[in-house]
Amino acid sequence: MKKKTDEKKEIIFNGIPAAPGIAFGEVFVVNVDELPVNNESITDKEIKGEIAEFEDALRRTGEELGELHKALAAEMGEDHAKILDSHIMILADEMMKEETKELIRAENANAAYAFTRVIDKTLTAFEHMEDQYLKERAEDIKDVKRRVIRNLLGQKTEGIANLRKKAIIVAKTLTPSDTVGFKRKYVLAFVSDTGGRTSHAAIIAKSIGIPAVVGLDQFSSHAKPYDQIIVDGLTGQVILNPTPETVELYKEALQKFKEIEKELLTLKDYAAVTLDNRTIELSGNIEMDEEVENIIEHGARGIGLFRTEYFFMMRGTLPGEEEQYRYYRSIVKKVAPDPVLFRTLDIGGDKIAKWVDDSVENNPFMGWRGIRFTLSRKDIFRTQLRAIFRAAAHGRARIMFPMVSVVDEVRQAIAICDEVKDDLKRERYQYGDDVEIGIMIETPSAVVMADVLAREVDFFSIGSNDLVQYSLAVDRGNSRISYLYDTLHPAILRFINSTVTEAHKAGIWVGLCGEMVADARVIGTILLIGLGLDEFSASAYLIPEIKKIIRSVTYDETRSLVRKALLMSTSGEVIELVNRFIEDKRPELLEYIPKDPITEKR
Amino acid sequence: MISGKVKVTNKRGIHLRLAGELVKMASRFKSEVMIGKDEDLMNAKSILGVAGLGAEFGTELLLNVDGVDEKEALDTLIDLIDNKFYMEE
Repeated sequence: MKKKTDEKKEIIFNGIPAAPGIAFGEVFVVNVDELPVNNESITDKEIKGEIAEFEDALRRTGEELGELHKALAAEMGEDHAKILDSHIMILADEMMKEETKELIRAENANAAYAFTRVIDKTLTAFEHMEDQYLKERAEDIKDVKRRVIRNLLGQKTEGIANLRKKAIIVAKTLTPSDTVGFKRKYVLAFVSDTGGRTSHAAIIAKSIGIPAVVGLDQFSSHAKPYDQIIVDGLTGQVILNPTPETVELYKEALQKFKEIEKELLTLKDYAAVTLDNRTIELSGNIEMDEEVENIIEHGARGIGLFRTEYFFMMRGTLPGEEEQYRYYRSIVKKVAPDPVLFRTLDIGGDKIAKWVDDSVENNPFMGWRGIRFTLSRKDIFRTQLRAIFRAAAHGRARIMFPMVSVVDEVRQAIAICDEVKDDLKRERYQYGDDVEIGIMIETPSAVVMADVLAREVDFFSIGSNDLVQYSLAVDRGNSRISYLYDTLHPAILRFINSTVTEAHKAGIWVGLCGEMVADARVIGTILLIGLGLDEFSASAYLIPEIKKIIRSVTYDETRSLVRKALLMSTSGEVIELVNRFIEDKRPELLEYIPKDPITEKR
Repeated sequence: MISGKVKVTNKRGIHLRLAGELVKMASRFKSEVMIGKDEDLMNAKSILGVAGLGAEFGTELLLNVDGVDEKEALDTLIDLIDNKFYMEE
């Protein structure tokens, strides 16, 4: 039912900007909670009709699931769609059907209420389970329940695939199955309560070029269908029921964003070189092969971070060597002659894969993750390394190990790489023999031991997200202390500085592949240039901006800024220092600092 | 009626997908098949019943089969559960 009131209050929510751009439109809520079912009785005369309606709802739900099965199988493969077979079987469960009909007949229950009671009996059994993995399977049953109830109450399904007009998708969480089969032309933006910069919604949004804001906490419970909202993927703001004045402000901001974007894209074919001729390698971060074109279009040279775990997570099962090899090969070929940097599986932390191990850790961020995981699951590690080395025969590949904290791990991992290459040689496979091997610097111990580690590898890549988290001992997801998560803290600058110094002393190159640039934008980029990094890797949308900044400054002036910044006490002082430099020396860069239009106005 | 016992060998237990496999197999037989952890048995031809058992790795399941093809049904189902549902893990 559509209600229109003009008296809704404007509310501003702050989340994490996950994909750039600004969108205006109506809310389309997916994944809402269950529809309310009442226990109103029916008359004896209505029993027959009620049973027929129940059967009809099951049939329609079956058709829906059949369609979804087809879409999912086409998009992600048959294996992925298999779970829906079980969903379809639930609809055909004779016991469930009989018990529901019996309640309708014996207690004059309405169909939705009778069905709810029968399904809830099973759900109660799930609640009492001790095994976490089995317990979580209740979600599948709840999903089927929601669909049937929706069909019984005559509500249209609210899958994104059913969208037939332009809208902004609002959800608690967006999973791959939520985003199956949607029509791009109708989706203006994604907004979700949960998630971070690398959540599924963020990645899809970035790859199709629509704005997204994630991590909004409780937003989906405030937004109602047909509410008007503005999504600002640059600052992370979402405005519910904006006033006409606010709409105007954001329209201007959008206009400006488009102009800047257009102007920046003209730099596509220029090199990332400073005014005093220092060249920086500028590459892109990707999670899946579809993003490669986007990276190249935005003027990057190569892939500086390929998060390989995404391919595993999307499938939900372990891919074999051949499947990985084909996938990696297609990416290497697309990017050649530029390199692709493969980060070996980085599961663990917040994304421990259920299909590998379903143990629950008390402190996953300091637990079984990154290189610790792959060294203990050498079967998985070897399979992936074999696939990468084989793909390297078709272009240029680099390999990088995440979450290194001690040198032994690096030595072990390199020894496995050598064994894998020997095996491939013996088995007469073609493989790349000149693959550079490096590590991510994201733990304080790796920073402190950088001189030792640098002797073992060909390069370093600084993972700024985790480096900030571990150095400042702050969990970014904890809203009570997230103010401490500070990319520009002098401690972080000093850590990066000493890492770069040690790398260069040892004659290896050092890059940065975290979201530091996205977090601190212009200020962060200027400091990173001055810190002497040889390579930056960032999301596609940031590449033109980084290139513009690199081409607008001299290495010398950023270097002397950094020397001052390293002596500062707080990030506030660092920001002030760089801002002053921009205002005095490079005012043309001011327009690249994302501003929130509402505060600007004041 | 005949009975048998078997331990769950799949590491992740009998989750929804495996419950579906079990139901498909049980439904091939005419006999009535009941399955459960103790005396409180569920109809093995109902996916909700089987999934609701919460049969994790190592759980011992009791099967009661009653009907014309009970022997074959019991052997087949025990074999299925005992052999990890013929799936690699």
